[in-house]
Amino acid sequence: MSGGSMTGEATEETLPAIVAGAHAERLVRRRTRRRTRTPAWAAVVLGAAAVYFLVPLYATAVFGFSTGKAFTLQPLFAGLADDGFHSSLLLSLGYAIVTTCLALVVVAPTAYLVELRFPGLRSTIEFVSILPFVIPPIILTVGLSTVYGIRSPVNLISSEWAPVLLVGGYFVLTLPFAFRAIDNALRAVDVRMLSEAAASLGASPVHTFLRVIVPSISLGLVSAALLAFTTAMGEFTIAALLGYPTFPVYLLNVNAYLPREGEALVLVSFFITWAGVLALAAVARRAPGTQIVRGGPM
Amino acid sequence: MSRLELSDLQKTFGDQRAVRDFTLTVEDGELVSFLGPSGCGKTTTLRMTAGFETPDSGSIVVDGSDVTDMPPNRRGMGMVFQGYALFPNMTAAENVEFGLAVRKRPTAERRTRVSELLELFGLAHVAGSYPHQLSGGQQQRVALARALAVQPGVLLLDEPLSAVDAKVREELRTEIRRMQVQLRITTILVTHDQSEALSISDRVVVMNRGAIEEVGTPAQIYAEPRSAFTAGFIGAMNEIPVRVVSGTHGQIERRGQRVTAPGAEGLPEGELAVLLVRPESLEPLQATSEVLNGDLTLRGRVEVQTFLGATTRLLLREQPAGPDDRYALPSSRRLAVDVASASAGQWPAGSELSVRIPVGSSRVIADRSAAPAAPAGLAPSIESVSRSSARG
Repeated sequence: MSGGSMTGEATEETLPAIVAGAHAERLVRRRTRRRTRTPAWAAVVLGAAAVYFLVPLYATAVFGFSTGKAFTLQPLFAGLADDGFHSSLLLSLGYAIVTTCLALVVVAPTAYLVELRFPGLRSTIEFVSILPFVIPPIILTVGLSTVYGIRSPVNLISSEWAPVLLVGGYFVLTLPFAFRAIDNALRAVDVRMLSEAAASLGASPVHTFLRVIVPSISLGLVSAALLAFTTAMGEFTIAALLGYPTFPVYLLNVNAYLPREGEALVLVSFFITWAGVLALAAVARRAPGTQIVRGGPM
Repeated sequence: MSRLELSDLQKTFGDQRAVRDFTLTVEDGELVSFLGPSGCGKTTTLRMTAGFETPDSGSIVVDGSDVTDMPPNRRGMGMVFQGYALFPNMTAAENVEFGLAVRKRPTAERRTRVSELLELFGLAHVAGSYPHQLSGGQQQRVALARALAVQPGVLLLDEPLSAVDAKVREELRTEIRRMQVQLRITTILVTHDQSEALSISDRVVVMNRGAIEEVGTPAQIYAEPRSAFTAGFIGAMNEIPVRVVSGTHGQIERRGQRVTAPGAEGLPEGELAVLLVRPESLEPLQATSEVLNGDLTLRGRVEVQTFLGATTRLLLREQPAGPDDRYALPSSRRLAVDVASASAGQWPAGSELSVRIPVGSSRVIADRSAAPAAPAGLAPSIESVSRSSARG
């Protein structure tokens, strides 16, 4: 499509433009060819990836939904009926929601300010945001329990503020995903120009952020929320070491003494997460103006 | 409707002086254009006026009150951006309503004002459309309506038409002028397009390298430019080397022809100067031996004919008198002569032609070598000639 229009314009242009246009057209053609013909190696990679992801799921299902000899849903019902299942799931959900909100409330304004006012700080913020990839969760937890432990002057661990440590730890782990998602969305819209337009119409910086910027980057915010939520829901190390019976910790315990029930619940959690992801994606697709964020003129 | 006073504005980015010694008063209801090549400081000056940049020194006063340190959202100025800057999450109507909503105007008043403005700009049928569903021209109309909705004291237009196509550009600029006159709104238009500046402004500020080159009405700027820069930037201008014979009597001389020309008074005697003359002022002479009283003649060979519609531009190459010919036209430049297209056939490429340079419609300025060169493409250079012919 773009190749055709390019040729049309080129005929009215100067000689160098015609040459450039023809070159661009060749490039487009070459790209289109690449896109239409799927090479064999791509199919092999895709097949291998599918096997890698689907076989464990299939094995889990086979193990969880059988007595060893025949298919049964009994382990699933037993697992769902367990008190520990409900309490741990609710606990995880609660912490995941708080973490997600915290990630959005902290990261979105920070990324906005970096983009608008402090572009010089970008590299520092990017470095801080990827620290969780460099520092393993176990080190983070050991650090947290030392700094805020019983022997510390700020003893949070045995106080009623102890959950702050868990949420704080989760928050740090979500940073790389949340920052990247929000920052990409901010860079896709012209934040500076939109902010200046809003200011020229009398809007305060806070009003501009909430009414203009946030709706314009809704897709990025949804992605950030999704990533933060799933990271927090699936986090094991910090919760286990700090002694919180969250859902992943509970699943590990159940697996130890009731393996079939445990596997059935793993599948349930897998489908709950997927349902959540799809629901949020559907919401994002319906948000007005997101086309601008999603696709530029290219 | 406000009076805007910009006094001695200075702005430096790093070691680059973006704006220097900028002083200008824009009268109530006046439309002033800032015209100049990119990097001349026009947009920086506009952004300082809007409050998006802080001047290093100087002051910005609106109706007697100093707004230099006031944040942009409290200055009461409307701004239209080159890239439209419409809010992508809002419909056309919501975009126009935004400023009124910020000011917490009653809903009924907002609705009335929004529909009035949409109607005024011919946008009523796209009120519910999102920006990405609108054409460039429609988006810029929405941006204008949005800026005017809050009835700003000063309207700032930052190259508002450079992103729309030629036909829409012409329509919109007439519309902007009509609206501006009707509402008597004090307006600054930043543009690098001289025809835009000349066609709709009350006054034009020509800027170069961060400073004001000159200020005047469009007619003054076009007909009597005071610098070679303005002359070269506004329309096509021929620069013909001449020698000042008498500064007292305003007499100049070129290749033995001696005439009295405006602008030559007071120039240093014996020094070289430049005679500025527009291509449309030059007249082809039928007989080469014609004797002229009070005007200069120049003879050359037609190199290229460029069809411009009603007129055709002939580019003449004058044979230099020798390697040290001080009257030679600037290197790579040709003398541009505009003739009626109907008669252009008399002077095909390769033919010899003499032209009369009516000194009455020309102007002599000093010190050509110190003046910055005109931007490429505006003055008739050999490069632009080859581009034109390749296009044809």
